[in-house]
Amino acid sequence: MKRRALWAGLMAAGLVVAGCGSAAPKEAPSGGAQQKLVVWDWKSGESVASDYIEKAKADFAKRHPGVTVEFVAQPFDQYYTLLGTAIQAGKGPDVMLFNGGGQIRDRVDALLPLDQYVAEDKSRLTGWDAFSKDGKVYAAPVTLQGHPIYYNKALYEKAGLDPASPPKTWDELVRGCAAIKKATGAACFALGNKEGFGIQFFMSGLGSGTLTPQEYDSWIAGKREWTSPHVKRIFELWKEAGDKGLNNEGANSTAMFTDIFGVFQTGKAAHIIGLMSDIGHWKDFGEFLPPDKIGVMQAPVVTDGATPSLPYDGGIGYAVAKWTKDPGLAAGLVRSLTSTEALTAFHAKAGAIASDTTIDVSQAGPAAATIVSQLKTGKPALHVALSSKTLDLMGRLSQQLLSGSATVDKAVKQLAASDKAS
Amino acid sequence: MPIGELSPSVRSGRAGGEAVKPRRGRPGSRTSFRRAGVDRLAPYVLVAPAVLIILALRLWPLVLGVNFSFTGDGELNGTPVGLSNYLELAGDPLFRTSLRNVGLLVLLLPLAVAIPGLLATFIYLRVPGHRIYRSVYFFPAVLSPVIVGAIFNLLLGFDGPVNAALGAIGAGPVDWLGDPGIAMFTVVGVHVWATFGMALVVFLAGFSTLDGSLLDAARVDGASLRQIIWHVIIPSLTRTIQFVFVTTMIGMLTSMFGLLFVMTGGGPEGSTYLPEFYIWHQQGQMNRPALASAASTVLFVVMLVVGLLQITLLRRTGRQD
Repeated sequence: MKRRALWAGLMAAGLVVAGCGSAAPKEAPSGGAQQKLVVWDWKSGESVASDYIEKAKADFAKRHPGVTVEFVAQPFDQYYTLLGTAIQAGKGPDVMLFNGGGQIRDRVDALLPLDQYVAEDKSRLTGWDAFSKDGKVYAAPVTLQGHPIYYNKALYEKAGLDPASPPKTWDELVRGCAAIKKATGAACFALGNKEGFGIQFFMSGLGSGTLTPQEYDSWIAGKREWTSPHVKRIFELWKEAGDKGLNNEGANSTAMFTDIFGVFQTGKAAHIIGLMSDIGHWKDFGEFLPPDKIGVMQAPVVTDGATPSLPYDGGIGYAVAKWTKDPGLAAGLVRSLTSTEALTAFHAKAGAIASDTTIDVSQAGPAAATIVSQLKTGKPALHVALSSKTLDLMGRLSQQLLSGSATVDKAVKQLAASDKAS
Repeated sequence: MPIGELSPSVRSGRAGGEAVKPRRGRPGSRTSFRRAGVDRLAPYVLVAPAVLIILALRLWPLVLGVNFSFTGDGELNGTPVGLSNYLELAGDPLFRTSLRNVGLLVLLLPLAVAIPGLLATFIYLRVPGHRIYRSVYFFPAVLSPVIVGAIFNLLLGFDGPVNAALGAIGAGPVDWLGDPGIAMFTVVGVHVWATFGMALVVFLAGFSTLDGSLLDAARVDGASLRQIIWHVIIPSLTRTIQFVFVTTMIGMLTSMFGLLFVMTGGGPEGSTYLPEFYIWHQQGQMNRPALASAASTVLFVVMLVVGLLQITLLRRTGRQD
């Protein structure tokens, strides 16, 4: 009886307060002086980033002596979970690292607009858009993230193709791939879609060859016609590549970051839509492929009137939490973390294409040089404009398209609905 | 002062100490009075830590969670939104898949119990090498799900050794973790492989209470192995089997997260989502704490129902014994 009464009481209490309070705090505590800044990221623990962190720390110490800075390297797998918990608690790090696009835009409620602090850096750095929402900047870009199409020149040579002039159109690419398959057995694309990331790379990597410049720009601006023929064409290409066996086998069970770059490096696939930040890029592949055997090509033209461009955005950037006690100080640290000297160190060690356009990359090999030469005409990547919810859905739909359990029409319809809702 | 007069006599009647030493009666009347109060309070004081811990760390967060499930996310943070989170869950195919997978786990439960039961029977019946098997079978139970997941990721990769072996005998490669129709069974299979050692030990403990003379009698009567298992061993082990059923069920419903995280990440096509994974995904990846609270509440209700059913089952069989 008693227990029943207790439960009834609890239920009643639950019902009385139901709908009050909030799942995440609304106001962050503030006030008081501090001499310590805590930074959360997933980079500072890596050896390739140590020089970068040291340089940034030194720069900050010069400007703000007496302030201690603590870098806490979190595992990337858990990073946004941990950050979400900190945001709900309304306390945590003062400065934190973000991926550009959806990850930061979903969380701007917890961040401080940085416009007044970073005005001077605006022209030196590029990639701000990925860290902005509603006209306000929330983080300063450290690297640029984009999706160049890398190709294996050694396989091109073996198949009797000219590695210096990669295919310009989709049909040429498919023909070339057939020759490569015949000569070497290698697949056309290395594709890892276990997490559903593959479609994001594919969409952005090939988007500029499929959409007209006008369609492209309105997509980025938020006017997205999912059911238009050219957008549908991207998903049709995705399905076609799967159906025609252009991808490596088992794409839906191959992990993007851990497995698929290995497939490309070891010559089991001729092309990969990779990254240009600090992993999955020319320097990463260098373990097995010498830099002069890695080429970068522009998106093959699929529809007439499309002008291929390099899809890139701000990759990772440091933001300041709303609850930090001294916003000026924290913003100062963000500026030090994006100083030319620090970014040069990051580029040299990690091979990342940094956000600072004044850095000299001539030492880094032909692939990096090609990428940097394309930055000027580059445009924001298509998938970065989407919300994380739509990207999540797109990942699952892309797996269904590959396995044949969804049609392109059904997929774009669902995506359009999800995109509209978010 | 009728009560003051009454008290010592009542107490002396109850507590022997008072009656033996009546000289302490007058100053003692107040002490005993106080002691009566202490005696009455003592149980509450002693239970208090446990109750407070349960209230503060279990029930209160539970109430908060239920409460948050009626608020919104993002811009609606803190605003009551009624049942809209629950409606969103009902309309989310991903959440429905996760609940369907819970049902699948329940359906696969007999298999997960039968495997250790059968192997334990063989060990009990002293098949050749039973000593080795006993330790070998238990070995995976000491591995963390992350390690198990990583091992099987390598083994079951599309170009992994399992498919290579299948290819060698002429069978086509199977996309163990990439085919939505197979992936959930793969993960459950790996989970059973990783955890059946514990159930096996419980079964062996159950066998040790088995009456050997019954087996001998059955053998003398010329019963076959199947008949022995079916008519002698299983009826004698009813309680053990039930216990294993309950613990295996709990294990399946609560500790698959690690394996799912490492092996499939909920994919392919969202086919291997379980409610826990869904909650983690919404809270950590999609930044939807209120929706995650609603999903947690649903999971809580599901677990409550399953738990109550199990308790009823155990009670009923307990009565039979």
